Amino acid sequence: MNTNDKSLNLVDSANDFHKINSRETAISINNVEVSFSTPKGKFTAVKDISLDIKRGEIISLIGHSGCGKSTLMNTISGMVLPTSGEVIANGKVVKGPGPDRGIVFQNYSLLPWMSVYKNIFVAVDSVFKNKSTDEKHAIVNHYIEMVNLTSHKDKLPSQLSGGMKQRVAIARAFAINPSILLLDEPFGALDALTKGSMHIELLKLWNLDNRNKTIVIVTHDIEEAIFLSDKVVVMNNGPAATIKKIVDINLERPRNKKAIAHDPEYIRIHDELLGLLFDKFSIED
Amino acid sequence: MNSFSLKNSISNALYFIGSMLVLIGLWQLVTILTKNEIPGPVATWQVFMELMSEPFYDRGPNDKGIGNQLVSSLIRVFSGFGAGSIVAIPLGLLMGSSKTGMKLLNPIVQILRPVSPLAWFPLGLLAFKAAEGATIFIIMITSLWPTLINTAFGVASIPDDHKNVGKAFGFSTWKYITKIMLPYSIPHIITGLRLSIGVAWMVIVAGEMLSGGVGIGFFVWDSWNALSLERILVAILIIGTVGLLLDKGFNALQNAFSYNQK
Repeated sequence: MNTNDKSLNLVDSANDFHKINSRETAISINNVEVSFSTPKGKFTAVKDISLDIKRGEIISLIGHSGCGKSTLMNTISGMVLPTSGEVIANGKVVKGPGPDRGIVFQNYSLLPWMSVYKNIFVAVDSVFKNKSTDEKHAIVNHYIEMVNLTSHKDKLPSQLSGGMKQRVAIARAFAINPSILLLDEPFGALDALTKGSMHIELLKLWNLDNRNKTIVIVTHDIEEAIFLSDKVVVMNNGPAATIKKIVDINLERPRNKKAIAHDPEYIRIHDELLGLLFDKFSIED
Repeated sequence: MNSFSLKNSISNALYFIGSMLVLIGLWQLVTILTKNEIPGPVATWQVFMELMSEPFYDRGPNDKGIGNQLVSSLIRVFSGFGAGSIVAIPLGLLMGSSKTGMKLLNPIVQILRPVSPLAWFPLGLLAFKAAEGATIFIIMITSLWPTLINTAFGVASIPDDHKNVGKAFGFSTWKYITKIMLPYSIPHIITGLRLSIGVAWMVIVAGEMLSGGVGIGFFVWDSWNALSLERILVAILIIGTVGLLLDKGFNALQNAFSYNQK
């Protein structure tokens, strides 16, 4: 596959750039608490969250279901505003969603009455108000090609498999060229094989952009978190979840899915994360 | 058309014919039981053929062909239905998209909806000083509620997933309305229109009995005064068939706009 060779080359040339650039803070979460008022009273989803994410970093938020990891990510996207504290993204306090932060939703969130092409075009058209129609079409075609969906571009979402829908959602998020990408359990509904190739595709897109985009992924998949991330943020169980630990993943990039499984460092991190996520259960047993 | 769907439509046609035969049989039975007080299918058929031989004759204001009567009823229904829809759809969109709008308007709708449209007839007379205007007015009132309620419900049930797309990619209000709100709610709106036209077609008969003039409802009343039960039965069959065709038409529209089945 020549596309693989191409991405490998880009990986090497991008390495230095990545190191230099990684000093700047892209996202800064300061003392954030999110609570909702419910009929039963105040419900605190997350609290005391402080986290700095550098430009070009890939971060995973990991924790058990309902621990508030999606809520935390939504404070970055602006879909949820913190009850107290603040989130600063690209130097600005987050007050709502914006095109500098692309979102890939948990359930793809494609508009079912639009073809693959139109789903991406409508987002591009909305964000790039000053570009000409030709430019917008060129952008859409480019990203559809990058996720290998050119032959499916006129299909409706209902005619696509889960993996294809996810690729459309990722293409749509990349197409508006955000500096920050937020992925909410993006591969949770996919089978293991599709998931694996989606990981590679995601990293490929990240590499093609000189590893310049900051990516935050919400997941409950330990292997996925390690393979993709520079840092894994482990959350405590909710309600009122806090950050339990931030684990650095010091594994060389480009990472090879097959080889990495035998890397002693990978095995050590894997064990550490497993321990962090499951210690509570073992004590109770 | 493949052989399965061909087979399917042949069997549907056969069932339809069977169903009509059952209706005619029961009808004949009633005729026999009432000792021809209620005209039978054969006598009605003769009157039907007679009426259809010259459907569009016009011999003065009180003597017009059945075709004329039907056409003027349809024009009235579609005028009232059109006016009602023009009010109901935007109001429904507003009601569905704003919680305040819903809370403010819903009690009004709930109080007015169960009122028989005929109760509005005198108000219509007062407002339009003419029976024609009043009839169209009650059809408008009739067509209002199902469309309004279905449109509002459709818009209010837009899933968060779809709304989030608009938020995440910074859709303008116009883009949100045209790319998310309307495409999602059009099937609901058409359901409302389909219910509205059905009720409007039922109400027109009663409305025209009140208003007089020309129309299929007036035709029924006029036939009663002339003691021609055959003509009434012909009218009933025509009203039923036209109602069925209207419903089928809107059903086809509904299928054309439901994106999930494409």
